[in-house]
Amino acid sequence: MSKKSYAVLGLFDTPDALMHAIPKLRAAKLGTVEAYTPYPIHGIDDALGLRRSPLGGMVLVMGVLGALTAFGFQYWISAIDYPIITGGKSAASWEAFVPIMFEVTVLFATFTAGLGMLLLLNRLPFFGHPVLSSKAMKGITRDRYALALEAESEAFDSAAAAQALEAAGAADIEVLPAPDRSPFLTSDYILRTLGSIFVACLVAGLGIYSLIKWFPLLAPMKYMQDQPRLNAQKASTFFKDGHGMQPPVPGTVARGYLPTATGTQEGSATLVNPLPRTKDVFAQGRKVYINRCEVCHGALANGAGSLTAAYGAKPANLQAQQFRDYPDGKIYWAIVNGKNAMPAHAAYLTEPQRWAVVHYVRALQRAQNATDEDLKVVAP
Amino acid sequence: MSQPKPTPPLLLGAVALGAAGVLGSYFAAGPERFWANWVLWFVLMFTLGLGSLFIVALEHLVSAKWSVPIRRIPERLATLLLPAIPVGLIALGAVPVLYPGARPEAAHHPILAGKAFWLSLPFFSVRTVAAFVLCVIALAVLVGGSLKQDVSRDPAFNFRARKFAPAFMAIFALVITLVAFDWVSGLTPEWYSDIFGVYIFAGAFLSGLAATALSLLYLQGEGRLEGVRQDHLYNLGAFLFAFTVFWSYIGFAQYMLMWYANMPDEVIYYKVRLAGAWRAITFALAGLHFILPFFALVTRDAKRDPKRLRRVALLMLTAHVLDIYWLIFPALGGSPRFGWPELSFALFFLGGILLWVRGAMQKGEDMPVGDPFLREGLEFRL
Amino acid sequence: MRTDASVHAVPIPEGLLEPALTVGRVTPGSLDDQVLAFPETKPPKQWYLALAVTLTALGIGVACIGYTFTTGIGAWGNSSPVFWAFDIINFVFWVGIGHAGTLISAILFLFRKRWRNAIARFAEAMTIFAVMCAVIFPLIHVGRPWLAYWLFPYPNERALWTNFRSPLLWDVFAVNTYFSVSLMFWYLGLIPDIASMRDRTTSKLRKTIYTVLALGWRGAASHWQHYEKAYLLLAGLATGLVLSVHSVVSFDFATSVVPGWHMTIFPPYFVAGAIFAGFSMVVIVLVVVRETMQLKNLITMRHLDVMNKVILAMSCIMAYSYMMEGFTAWYSMNEYLHHGFMNIITGTYGWAGWVTISCNIFIPQLLWFKKCRSSYFWMILVAIGVTIGMWFERFVIIVISLHQDYLPSAWRIYKPTMIDFGILLGTFGLFFTLVLIFARVLPVIATTEVKAILPDAQPSHGGSHE
Repeated sequence: MSKKSYAVLGLFDTPDALMHAIPKLRAAKLGTVEAYTPYPIHGIDDALGLRRSPLGGMVLVMGVLGALTAFGFQYWISAIDYPIITGGKSAASWEAFVPIMFEVTVLFATFTAGLGMLLLLNRLPFFGHPVLSSKAMKGITRDRYALALEAESEAFDSAAAAQALEAAGAADIEVLPAPDRSPFLTSDYILRTLGSIFVACLVAGLGIYSLIKWFPLLAPMKYMQDQPRLNAQKASTFFKDGHGMQPPVPGTVARGYLPTATGTQEGSATLVNPLPRTKDVFAQGRKVYINRCEVCHGALANGAGSLTAAYGAKPANLQAQQFRDYPDGKIYWAIVNGKNAMPAHAAYLTEPQRWAVVHYVRALQRAQNATDEDLKVVAP
Repeated sequence: MSQPKPTPPLLLGAVALGAAGVLGSYFAAGPERFWANWVLWFVLMFTLGLGSLFIVALEHLVSAKWSVPIRRIPERLATLLLPAIPVGLIALGAVPVLYPGARPEAAHHPILAGKAFWLSLPFFSVRTVAAFVLCVIALAVLVGGSLKQDVSRDPAFNFRARKFAPAFMAIFALVITLVAFDWVSGLTPEWYSDIFGVYIFAGAFLSGLAATALSLLYLQGEGRLEGVRQDHLYNLGAFLFAFTVFWSYIGFAQYMLMWYANMPDEVIYYKVRLAGAWRAITFALAGLHFILPFFALVTRDAKRDPKRLRRVALLMLTAHVLDIYWLIFPALGGSPRFGWPELSFALFFLGGILLWVRGAMQKGEDMPVGDPFLREGLEFRL
Repeated sequence: MRTDASVHAVPIPEGLLEPALTVGRVTPGSLDDQVLAFPETKPPKQWYLALAVTLTALGIGVACIGYTFTTGIGAWGNSSPVFWAFDIINFVFWVGIGHAGTLISAILFLFRKRWRNAIARFAEAMTIFAVMCAVIFPLIHVGRPWLAYWLFPYPNERALWTNFRSPLLWDVFAVNTYFSVSLMFWYLGLIPDIASMRDRTTSKLRKTIYTVLALGWRGAASHWQHYEKAYLLLAGLATGLVLSVHSVVSFDFATSVVPGWHMTIFPPYFVAGAIFAGFSMVVIVLVVVRETMQLKNLITMRHLDVMNKVILAMSCIMAYSYMMEGFTAWYSMNEYLHHGFMNIITGTYGWAGWVTISCNIFIPQLLWFKKCRSSYFWMILVAIGVTIGMWFERFVIIVISLHQDYLPSAWRIYKPTMIDFGILLGTFGLFFTLVLIFARVLPVIATTEVKAILPDAQPSHGGSHE
């Protein structure tokens, strides 16, 4: 490192002495005049000829950028990417975006002010400045005021500078070596910085991801999953047999499947078929008959079903006179409650289905016992 | 506003012309429009005077030193409260015409019946007169005392003013809330907003500050007020900026809360002001009262630049008039009215205010020379 | 009329002169020796005792929060219809207390009130600690705190965004911004002081730590220039935050339609209440600090007097707000609003309403009297009263409005549980633990700022700065 002197420093005891010395030293034109003080001194910016700080403009620009970013982001999310109406407010409800827009503006602006001042304008952190290791430093942050003549070029005459300082009233004159400020932005530095940022992001990202996935599986977070409740198709200690899903209680009836013809078959004789004799009803009745009744009572309702021979049973021949004389209600009763070997069909057939079957049985009966009158074509 | 000194004859002529138009408008444009204009200018004069008096009292309350050299200006502006009183007493004639709560039908209205006694003319007048009396007392103590101190050089006034300032704040809070609820939101008595007093306060304070700034720059232009520097101007500019933001915050808060809850009895207020041509006026108000002055005063330099301050102060006063117009005129129904009645009223009242303020600027010394802190105030540096 | 002020100068009478901001002879050197000595010395026994107490309180809070995590929000008293209770009350309470610090550091800086310099550092630290206490509540009051990160709008596999129309999300942004900005503001202010500590300390370890934290600050005038500009800008921006953050918090309530919550005056009313509560907490802490740390010459009775006056002013603003609420409850002719207001003064929780009004309006009126403003007993009584009163004010707003709103069939009584109280106690423990640690680790007074306002600190140019 160069042993050339970089600056000559002198200490003053009062701010007035400092301020009086500045114009003298500036006039001497021996180097850049810099002051080091424990607190900001009024009027020193003008005395030293410092240019105005650009921080205000930077903050204004970044603040406006913050406002636009926040508003644009919220608008895009709420009105374009996934528009949802919440609380009756339209998707592009600008009024609701204002508070966050304001806060983000302040956020951008303050970070620009703070970080911009430190990193960009003051180029801090920097630990290599010779003043930091000088004898004067202790006084500078305590109660003394320093002026330094800093080298502007190779031809810096430290002896002349020291003399000028003494003439201006400074004490404890000190010569400082050059700062160890290696060039800031070498490609090596940039690569290392970018590389470490990348690695840090990777590690942080992976860490956060695994934490997020893994953390909810720990107690007590997993208690929300392990709740004492019935889950479908899982065991449960709540019931004696250990099953979560239990069969319905005996006597459970599904909606629409009420056994509506109770009492005796004779008592149901007065029930009236509520369904009209339309093509649809007959079609439905036929469908139900084929599914439920044909196996025993046969396709023509004559008791010659396919099951009969195998089981040796004798289902009723619905073409018999006895059954042709039955009122609809008694047939309905037999369907609902069953009779003799015929099981109750209330649980399998809804009420409309039962009455539709009754219509169909009647049609079958008429078909097998047709008269000449039945062959007459009915005028449309 | 670097106009040449307005010659009194021209001003008097304008006032006379305005007066003729004002009288004529009662018969030609109808009593409702006449009274709407009258109430607008009463509220303007009263809030301007009250806002200026608030500035004076605030300075005493916090024992501010930097503002002592310029304190005489808001003191003089506060005297506008005196002509505002007869204007206000005449404005009571508007109550049966424009204010639904004061009409006989209010006694049968489902919402207004319970408060009809409050909204009716007798009680309304009692409250208004009480407010006027309190204002006169405050004027006597703060402004009268300050003017007397010019001659007596007795620091006893400072003690009295500091003691009176908190009392004035209580008076001010009551009076400004009264003006807000009775004179302004009373036009739509089914509607209410408890921030309304604060909203009118913000406008009043801002108009007082703007008028102070304008007067200060005018006097400086005349060569008076030597010793008042950019440092003082900066503080005034900073207050103008800060309270522009404050007014906007209050205005937005009221609007956003009513928009959000969407309750029919509240939202009607804004629906009327966003329908048809009123929409343009609402946007103009936001632009002139917030956007423009905000960006015009945001930089440090702008706050102490006399030219910039003059323009912004004028803009603020215009925006304040627009604000009151926006608050009051929708009560007339239909689209915003602007014609020769409004122009006549503007001529008459603006001319009258200017005449009065011209006269007031001759009262007492330009600075409170009897105040012990005058020197410190003049030495003030940022 | 032309005025020549210098000719007719009136002498300032005794009664109008303000006492000096420092007592006795204070030089920059003596200031450093007095204030910067604390981080270097071992704390006295009483400090350890106090820390033990606060850590116990903190421990109770942590245990209660742990119990809440394992058992669920049912451990609290929250139930239909009072779905928000202690959680939101405590959140608003602590955020409010933080506002005093920002007002003192930022707003009073803009007004150039030099008395703020001695107390700004501590007040800012209290802001940061108060916001830390506040932030606990939004995190723990959600049923699944481990999913709290869902509050932030990041692209996710659920293809969902957060709901920007909700005031609760505005809160997230506002409080986070407030915390970051306060932290930055506080840290920037600390840099020159840490530089002083760096240059004074003899311990190698401390020197290393302070060197890193001071970022190599050397007091260069060219640096001060940018620093001062940044500080001014931050003060201006933080001022905006003082108004906006608690207004956004008030929007949590005011945007709803619950009677007693939907009042347009809430934003400025909450801000005034925040400053009120915050200043009271600052007064309590500063009284303890100036006595136990022998800082009476720097934190003078004048400082306490001015702060008490601010508390009094805020009390009057609160009185106005309460009157407006009462007036509106009548003027609106709205039976729900009216019922809600009557509940505050005569309902089941009417006692809470009267605690609020007494502690916030009646008792602080004592501060009109100079005797009370200068007496430790009275000012601490008022300050503690205000702290209690402001907590109860949030209780009144939240619990009373919720427990009886529009539908009478949903009216129920709310009872907090011991866990609720335990968590509140824990936050007080956290706050005071942090305060105690701060007092011994970092300079409690901004020595650099106070040095700048000492007499003879600035070159004489005959100017004043009031």
